[in-house]
Amino acid sequence: MCLGIALAASEIPNDLIDRHALRRRIHERGGEPEFRFLYRDRHPRLPVWRDGRLQIVRWGNGQKKSRFLPDTGWTWQATIDQGYWKNLNPAPVDIPASLGLERGVWYRIRQGVRGLLVPDERGVAVVYMICEPSSHYYQIMTRSNRMPTLIEERI
Amino acid sequence: MSGVCTKLLFMEQIQGMKAVGHLDADCFYVSAERVRDSFLLGKPVGVLGNQGACVIAKSYEMKAAGVSTGMPIWDALVKCPEGVYIKRDFRWYEVLSRLMLEVAREVSPRVEYYSIDEFFFTVAEPRGGSFQVLAESIRDRIWERVRVPVTVGIARTRTLAKLISDAAKPFGALAVVDRGAEERLLSGRPVTEITGIAGRRAARLEPWGITTCLDLARADRRLVRSLLTASGEALWWELNGDPVRAIEPRRPAHKALSRGGSFGESTSDPAVLHAWLVRNLERLIEELEYHGVAAGRLTVAIPYKSGQTGVGQVHLAVPSDRFDLLLDAARSALRKAWIPRATATHMHVIAEQLTHRVDCPGDLFEPPARAAQAQAVARLKRAVNARHGRFALRSAATQALGPIYRDAANAYDICDVRGKSCF
Repeated sequence: MCLGIALAASEIPNDLIDRHALRRRIHERGGEPEFRFLYRDRHPRLPVWRDGRLQIVRWGNGQKKSRFLPDTGWTWQATIDQGYWKNLNPAPVDIPASLGLERGVWYRIRQGVRGLLVPDERGVAVVYMICEPSSHYYQIMTRSNRMPTLIEERI
Repeated sequence: MSGVCTKLLFMEQIQGMKAVGHLDADCFYVSAERVRDSFLLGKPVGVLGNQGACVIAKSYEMKAAGVSTGMPIWDALVKCPEGVYIKRDFRWYEVLSRLMLEVAREVSPRVEYYSIDEFFFTVAEPRGGSFQVLAESIRDRIWERVRVPVTVGIARTRTLAKLISDAAKPFGALAVVDRGAEERLLSGRPVTEITGIAGRRAARLEPWGITTCLDLARADRRLVRSLLTASGEALWWELNGDPVRAIEPRRPAHKALSRGGSFGESTSDPAVLHAWLVRNLERLIEELEYHGVAAGRLTVAIPYKSGQTGVGQVHLAVPSDRFDLLLDAARSALRKAWIPRATATHMHVIAEQLTHRVDCPGDLFEPPARAAQAQAVARLKRAVNARHGRFALRSAATQALGPIYRDAANAYDICDVRGKSCF
């Protein structure tokens, strides 16, 4: 599964950077700044497109801030299809990403990753990254048996 | 007679001096990806082949971090943790390669499509210009039109031209056509930089004090021939400015055709090995059909993780390009190459003793109905695949390779780019 993403710095507006104190997430690669959103961060967050606006929301429930949401940051597409999330008023969202990170491998993502947005018991938005069984290529490249569901892209 | 000589000399002066150009794209696969994805500019980028297992091309930024071509991704990650890894796409690389070839053909009547990112061509010194200006203009024209950075070398022979373009990389253009400048260039370069001289040949030269390109150029020709045979002597002539290796605008006929490569995931499973055999054979038959030839001998080579290589070879009763006959031969060769329980990493299926199909005799002992049936199946397979895509109709024996066929990137490989004189 994808443990983090990077997004070109030019993709995030300044007001979001200030509001969510994102400057500490800035890294440089090849002289270009990018924001890194990692699941292992002390405050795991992901950018999502919701109602035509880019927002920064909590990534999953690994830190158990919610008592009823699953303690993970990912969900299978099959689980969604089987209706396991339907009581939580889920909304499909797009997670913009320039790169994905899996077991140390940074790989190119052209548009982004599919996500599922749900509210916790306090109404705070939480996003789960949607994943699917790895393609042969992804499995060899990362040695992981699940991969993120990419937007209009198959690797 | 003297009048004819004078006329020839005059013609040569009008046309200008002739030389050989070598064009080499800089980190071509990465540059090709950057043409369509500007996000990758300036970043350390690695293109992965072998189904995601190895780096088959890297940017200069990744090279500076110590990553080499062919390195497994797990080693590359240690050397360059900030690297960005992308999947190969030979269809796209071929598109850009053919665009570059078009530009080369505009400046030269004789271009050899050596490999997907390397061409040799003949050039005449432009009137009122120089080879240096010509080299720069070719490089710039490709950059303007294709946006791929290339390096161009111009010299008196193709061996010198390649050495010069290697020395001028990246995004360089250099013409060296006088002996003094050639010698300065050759003096600083190890002999292994010459295409055709690798470790074993270099070791043969070393006891004679031949370690640089200039040492080889100045060595006694007969000594070079005795150490490196006639092909080594050809290099000697070329290093001394005498062109003996021709530019081939059309690829010479193949002596052998082969298909195969890495499995990505090593295997000892006989069913998977058989599936790879059938996949490689189907691809090989496509190639035999394209070139209009039939195979008289089939070889299956399987390198194993232990370092051993199993080889099986079968002679066909009559040369053939038929799936059923070649499959029988290939299975028999596989049995000879197979080492039970050993883990195999690669497989190569090689067709040799090629004969033009029109010259092939029929098998006198085969019932005509059987041959007709096999040909009808082959026709149907070609027609279905032409309409619905390569491998849409294929042998059921390839079922064990479902994930390989599901990935469109595996449907087109570097060897499917036709017309190159080298791999």
